[in-house]
Amino acid sequence: MARVEVQLPSVFTPIVAGRLTFSLEAESLRGAWQALRRERPEVGLHLFDESGALRRHVLCFHNDRNSRWLDGEDAPLRDGDTLLFMQAVSGG
Amino acid sequence: MSVQLLIGTDKGAFLCRSDSARRNWKIEGPHYKGWKVTAAERTADGGWLLGTASYVYGAAIHAGRDVANLKQVGGTPRYEESLKRPLTEIWRIVAARDGACYAGVMEAGLFRSSDGGERWSPVDGLNEHPSRAKWQPGNGGLCAHSILADPKNSRRIWCGISAVGVWRSDDGGDRWRACNAGVPAALEDKDFPEIGFCVHALQADPAAPERIWRQDHLGMFRSTDAGASWERIENGLPSRFGFPLGRSRSDGTLYAVPLESDEYRFPKDGRLSVCRSRNDGQSWEAADRGLPQTCYANVLRGAMDTDGLNPCGVYFGTTAGDVFASPDGGDSWTALPARLPRVLCVRAATD
Repeated sequence: MARVEVQLPSVFTPIVAGRLTFSLEAESLRGAWQALRRERPEVGLHLFDESGALRRHVLCFHNDRNSRWLDGEDAPLRDGDTLLFMQAVSGG
Repeated sequence: MSVQLLIGTDKGAFLCRSDSARRNWKIEGPHYKGWKVTAAERTADGGWLLGTASYVYGAAIHAGRDVANLKQVGGTPRYEESLKRPLTEIWRIVAARDGACYAGVMEAGLFRSSDGGERWSPVDGLNEHPSRAKWQPGNGGLCAHSILADPKNSRRIWCGISAVGVWRSDDGGDRWRACNAGVPAALEDKDFPEIGFCVHALQADPAAPERIWRQDHLGMFRSTDAGASWERIENGLPSRFGFPLGRSRSDGTLYAVPLESDEYRFPKDGRLSVCRSRNDGQSWEAADRGLPQTCYANVLRGAMDTDGLNPCGVYFGTTAGDVFASPDGGDSWTALPARLPRVLCVRAATD
């Protein structure tokens, strides 16, 4: 299991009492997203839709790469990796 | 005695405080900066329930006593995953006198909480009604936006959905009957003629809950039989069209904001006007002293409220971000000293 750092956008401040960065353990991107939904449901609610998929206008960057461009959600994680969530600019 | 106004906007919530004179206001916020604050309710124990939403991050409910430090509830309303039905906004939260709380949401549905708002369950009798597949959205979407809970009978609930109509349950939410007789349909359905009505707002008399008033897309109406039938009450209104409907908690005066038709949706001739009825809707009069005479902003259905004081305080916000307050039942109005983002909801509370 790799320990990775999750970084949330500042608009999440009232949801997480200002703690926008935290860590979790997972082996893959899919595992990290599942852990997020399981361990931090107050956050997961806003990142993932009712089917469990990443919300349409949410981006997740694994280190500096957009998760949508990676080789699926099986992308392996390593200690110290970061998962940065942010709002897509879709819509202008 | 102090008055608090919770103003929900497109970009956060603002809390305005005044004393009982309601002439000078202190404004704090934004709380939930960047989030749409779509619904607000004060609970009997002095807490707040807020509905927030984001085009990107979805909807949730937050609870607590201090608006600056509310906590997102653990069991925020969501549809079962198997339904594949998005829940994008909380349009209305109502704390009933028996302790239950109700939330009306988009896509349209009703949720109930029996623990003060921490956990919410779908009211399936309405949400999965056999006519649901034929429900059509209004201009604002398919949303459940108006909720009345009978203070004398906790099993009786009304829910208004656009553009579906008004529903009533007499058994705590298991079965629902449409309550639109006497109101013209906006989108008539040949299979379910009881749906297709575009209710905009509801008010009821807590002392006689069978008396209900309805601002509808196609006029202003009153029911004296718990919604079983409706009659027009438009004498003195410059327009049948509008969204919010307020009612004084102290003397029953009704307040509406007529707009120039559904095509234009702004004050007629640019004259922002509140109309007031002191006789249960029998007749209406303009109550606009102090309101701007050049205004082409809208007032949304959730953006008006009254306080419980006497004389009644009346408050509303516009889509241009102005908030107007009347400490004297609508005799005079002043603008709060701020221009906020688009106002989505206004809730008044006294301490």
